[in-house]
Amino acid sequence: MSFSEDKFSDDSRLHLAQIIDNVNAGIWEYNINTRSIKWSAGFYTILGYEPGEIECSNHLFFEHLLYHQDKLVFLNALNSQSQHADQPVQIRLLTKSSGYHWFESTIKKHDVRDGQVVYGSIININAYKQAELQSAHKDQLYGDTIRIAKLGSWEIEATTLNLTLSKQMYDIYELQAEVKLTLDEVISFFEPSYRPVIQNAINNALEFCQPYDLELMLRTAKNNVIWVRAKGVPIINDYGKCISVRGILQDIDNNKRKGLSLESSLNLLTDQNRRLQNFAYIVSHNLRSHTGNLQFMVNLYEETEVAEDRDEIFSHIKSISGSLNATIEHLNEIVKIQTEITNERSVIDFETLFRNIQSAIKNNIDALNARIEYDFSKCPQISYIPAYMESILQNLLTNALKYSHPDRQPVIKCYTLKDRNHIYLIFEDNGIGIDLERYGDKVFGMYKTFHQNPDAKGIGLFITRNQIEALGGTIKVESTVNIGTKFTIRLV
Amino acid sequence: MIVKKPSVNACIIDNNNTYVYGFKKLISLKDLNSQVSHFNNGSEAIIHLKDPLNINNLPDVIFLDISMPIMDGWEFINKFAEIKSQLGKKISIYILTASVDVNDVERAKNISEISEYIFKPMAKQRLMQIFDSLQTDIARQ
Repeated sequence: MSFSEDKFSDDSRLHLAQIIDNVNAGIWEYNINTRSIKWSAGFYTILGYEPGEIECSNHLFFEHLLYHQDKLVFLNALNSQSQHADQPVQIRLLTKSSGYHWFESTIKKHDVRDGQVVYGSIININAYKQAELQSAHKDQLYGDTIRIAKLGSWEIEATTLNLTLSKQMYDIYELQAEVKLTLDEVISFFEPSYRPVIQNAINNALEFCQPYDLELMLRTAKNNVIWVRAKGVPIINDYGKCISVRGILQDIDNNKRKGLSLESSLNLLTDQNRRLQNFAYIVSHNLRSHTGNLQFMVNLYEETEVAEDRDEIFSHIKSISGSLNATIEHLNEIVKIQTEITNERSVIDFETLFRNIQSAIKNNIDALNARIEYDFSKCPQISYIPAYMESILQNLLTNALKYSHPDRQPVIKCYTLKDRNHIYLIFEDNGIGIDLERYGDKVFGMYKTFHQNPDAKGIGLFITRNQIEALGGTIKVESTVNIGTKFTIRLV
Repeated sequence: MIVKKPSVNACIIDNNNTYVYGFKKLISLKDLNSQVSHFNNGSEAIIHLKDPLNINNLPDVIFLDISMPIMDGWEFINKFAEIKSQLGKKISIYILTASVDVNDVERAKNISEISEYIFKPMAKQRLMQIFDSLQTDIARQ
């Protein structure tokens, strides 16, 4: 069968048929009344067959060539009532040797003498369709990726400072996507201390074409504070001037917080390790010094027969025994700090406790005529281990008295401060001070004494620091020789 | 013929009074013919060394502890290095300490002023050896 009928002269019909057979498309025709069907040579060709190689029949087309899922689409298009339903239909047909391919067919209806004819041209759109599917897949992948990565993208236009934000930006900000935001508004979501940082980074990118990569804290519209990574890259024109800044904003809250907690664990471990090392040092040095002396004295005892010498030596042996005992007591206190960590905390009233300690060492205070001022109004109470707090206050108070300046009345101030997350205890005195440049971190070391004070044992501040640090706090010292010393303790 | 050994002027810088007592006692018990001066820390010793009144009473040997208040052993050695050329006398320095810290031992090795690093308590034989060689040196001069 061919398309050479009616209307045209035999020659022109033949010519037309040749043209039709040679285009890179298939043409088909179906007479609804007679159910007869015609395929152009191109129809066979695009499916990979020689013309006539397969039977031209409805049955073969619907049951063999047409992909079963596309039957409905094709039949719907055929039966469409509209005369001018030009909408092409996309279907999959089985090719001779490379499986199903995507084809697109036009469908036109046409009335002829013996009824209605449906015809159409069919072309292979496989490559295009594959690309389309691939692109849709990539879009999906891209969308999923940036959603999973919690990655928002944005662009600032340099001249107008007009801002374009991706949907993910709104997700990170926990905002309705419709809201149009200005640059200032976007910056205002960052936590106050980070606002100048991001503002500067953007300014530098716009003015000096400097890229930036920052980790900042952001407060979302739903009041969640999260860590984000903000990265910006300037886009420059041929003259090297920045025309816009493009960048990403990524929610890195999980990782950042893990990192921060890792860092704080590491610090804690380093601290504990340092204390452990200090402890080992104490054991090796201080006990060794006593046992060495003991051994020395015993040897000496054997060197002499003189009774007075022996008595004298024995008195030293007794004093070594006393020192040895004191050192063991100190070690015991340090071990106790670690075991007492789990003791129950209770609410402590600073003023009550401080007054108790003051009256316990009243003699000492009176002897020095010391003036002691306190103000716990900023934070009157704290939940702490009572034994620790008592020891901390007592140590710092006796310390301040012990190192008071001989030329003036000792003035000691003790007060508490509170900020959003922490409680601070401050101790200030006008004593002789410590040369921190020389002694620095040794201030809190064990058996470190810096003055020729016979009462100095170098144990108080060591214990105090251990107690504070055991409960996660810190102690810092500022001091000027002959002016005074200030201890700042972050309790919690 | 018995030659009377020359007297050794020794100095101990240490704030551990028990040890200082024992040290002095051992020297007197062993008849080492020595006078021993004692300073509680480096600073006191430097003051003594710098004082022109003591020019004829400078020690031949210093036994130096490391851990002391005010001025520790290391600081003393720095100060000593600064003034030793003005003293006009060869003074040997022995570190005599309870510290077994390897950092301290290593540090001492790199300081030319230090003759030896000795752990406390010092064996009496070692003390006698040191005095013996000091006396030989002094006799030669």
